[in-house]
Amino acid sequence: MSIITSPTTSGQGGPKHGGPKQATRKQGRQRQGSRRRVEPIFYLFLVPSLVLFTLAITIPGIVGIFFSFTDSIGIGDWEFVGLTNYIAIFTDPAILQSYLFTFGFSIVTVIAVNVVAFLLAVGLTSRIRMKSALRTIFVIPMVVSGIIIAYVFNFLFSNSLPSLGAAAGIPWLESSLLANPDFAWVAIVLVTAWQAVPGALLIYIAGLVAVPGDVYEAAEIDGASKFQQLLKITLPLVSGYVVINIILGFKGFLNAYDIIVGLTNGGPGTSTRSIAMTVISGFNGGDYAYQMANATIFFVVAIVISLVQLSLTRGRNAL
Amino acid sequence: MSVKLTRRKRFAAMGLGLALLAGLLSGCAGEPDKETIRFTFSKREAIGFMTKLVAEYNASQNDTEVVLDTSGVDVVSASFVRGNPPDIALANYNMETSRFVQRGVLSDLSGTDAASRIREDLQPLMDQYGSYQDRTSALPYSVMASSVIYNKEIFAANNIKVPTTWTELIAACDQLKAAGVTPFYATWKDDWTIAQGWFDYSVGGQVDTLDFFDKLAVEGTEVGPESSVSFQKDFEQPVAKMLKLATSYVNKDAASRAYGDGNLAFSQGKAAMYLQGPWAFSEIAKTAPDLKLGTFPLPMTEDPQDLRVRVNVDLAAWIPEASKHKEAARDFLEYLYRPEVIEAYNKSQLGFTPTKDSAVVPDPRIEGMVQYYDKSQVYQGPSVLVPRTIPIMNYTQALVFGANPSSTLSTLDADWARLAFRQ
Repeated sequence: MSIITSPTTSGQGGPKHGGPKQATRKQGRQRQGSRRRVEPIFYLFLVPSLVLFTLAITIPGIVGIFFSFTDSIGIGDWEFVGLTNYIAIFTDPAILQSYLFTFGFSIVTVIAVNVVAFLLAVGLTSRIRMKSALRTIFVIPMVVSGIIIAYVFNFLFSNSLPSLGAAAGIPWLESSLLANPDFAWVAIVLVTAWQAVPGALLIYIAGLVAVPGDVYEAAEIDGASKFQQLLKITLPLVSGYVVINIILGFKGFLNAYDIIVGLTNGGPGTSTRSIAMTVISGFNGGDYAYQMANATIFFVVAIVISLVQLSLTRGRNAL
Repeated sequence: MSVKLTRRKRFAAMGLGLALLAGLLSGCAGEPDKETIRFTFSKREAIGFMTKLVAEYNASQNDTEVVLDTSGVDVVSASFVRGNPPDIALANYNMETSRFVQRGVLSDLSGTDAASRIREDLQPLMDQYGSYQDRTSALPYSVMASSVIYNKEIFAANNIKVPTTWTELIAACDQLKAAGVTPFYATWKDDWTIAQGWFDYSVGGQVDTLDFFDKLAVEGTEVGPESSVSFQKDFEQPVAKMLKLATSYVNKDAASRAYGDGNLAFSQGKAAMYLQGPWAFSEIAKTAPDLKLGTFPLPMTEDPQDLRVRVNVDLAAWIPEASKHKEAARDFLEYLYRPEVIEAYNKSQLGFTPTKDSAVVPDPRIEGMVQYYDKSQVYQGPSVLVPRTIPIMNYTQALVFGANPSSTLSTLDADWARLAFRQ
């Protein structure tokens, strides 16, 4: 940062000290100096992560893409089959369904998480009692592992709620939400949101705390109601954080796996199979190459989404 | 000074480390002239039994040291990829293991004494998962038969005889229902229980799965409404019968009950019949050790001659081609197949011994299936013969939850054809 800005400051300050010539010379010297100052040891610091990333991500990724053009099952002999796997994917309703489900689920969950987290954050940054205790309580779900949450909720949905429903005589509550092919996804959204809200909440709290108090004072003097303040001042001022939360959340939900496995395992039927689940089914189902092709397509989709997100966020200061 | 001190410390630490390492190494090596072989076995219920057996074998001779490795099938698959597979394995014989067979990574066992003692009529069950050239890639070790488990006390109290035809079965169910007894306990939350029991028993009781899947493989990409065999044609009737049982004669909360709940409920006498395999007996016995239970094949037709039980090769033995200790592994294999060893194992797990010379002394709980197994009136369930990449368990779950049977079965056909296209 300072390397870029310091020539500008010296350029601005230049005329005060002497002629523009001197300033240019100084600038040049400083550039050279800054270049010399990058010690080779800094490059060494990059090596561990570079090596790890290459070994654990890049190489396996390339190997996976390579095998997506074969009929490999993960072991033994294999042959090249060209684009067969890719052609098969585009006519496979199961894969198509997993994409539809995953994207639909991600969009709904992102909206749910952000609405809840934002409202909670507004509450937790206003003048209320036991603020820090409440903040701690709301953040707890974040530190529990997803699969544990899923199993606990699985028990609640399958046993506790139905027996409550039976005791209270509410017929629709008697059958498990997870056993309903049309609404099992609602349960998944609920549980995923329950786990994801704290993360978004923390970011919103940080954003809300950063909003200066005087703008509210000014608004109050102008006679704005609390609701107008929320809508016209708070929301625009934390819009950067909204974007961050939406991006982070959406990316995470596209990879949905553990909570779904723990709750429905893709069921009832195949109504809640996510993309990650179909990809992993290739490993234990002997369909390695095919699912590698699926993963490659998903990779491309993820890159496209990331590029769109990057271009959306570039203009925002909060990021 | 401080530098010296740290240096001295460093030397001390290094020395200590070396000493530890040496100790570890000598501990590993044990007796240096013994050949070590790695034996993979991951059936949880029988690990105790196998640990004892391995210890006995190691004590009985001085050439080989068998190390028991209990990692599951995923780890084994990975070990093949790394070129470091186990030297010998006893593993569930299914679509996953069959991949090793089909790609030729298992060695030929046809020359072993054990291979010559296997019942020939079981070979089709092995071949059904494919083979590689003329190799005998795997030998069956333990065959599990499964059928309807029934509560003898409830049957006796209601004066019901074991049904041998579909009509008798429905009559029995109606009678139980009228007496306020739930006929079947179903656990639909766990989709495998539907596939393994409801779906497989219904289809296998009516369709010759050996023949069906042979023809289906020939049809390949052509499988569909027009092909000579198809799921939508051949499975339609069995599935309709399954759904009749599933909609009229099960516990009300079946949709949210899991396998564990089912074992508990059945042990408490909450239903008369239970569609599970012999593995459930030990679970039921945990809460009701004295409950009198029996088994009978689910009758799907009007002819008692059609009665058959579902079997699966619960364990098969194989030795990878990449093993560096094949001879030692074969010696251990012969030991495993000694009549007293293999019979003791199968007795302990309520399995059937696949050797010709086995003298069967069945547990009363599986007595009802012995005559069918002996006459090889058996079938392998369709749910295990469909490649794992087709989510058949999910489909069967969708069926009992009310999905349209004909569209679900034609989805199965389409999946099969697509798989054939790319493989």
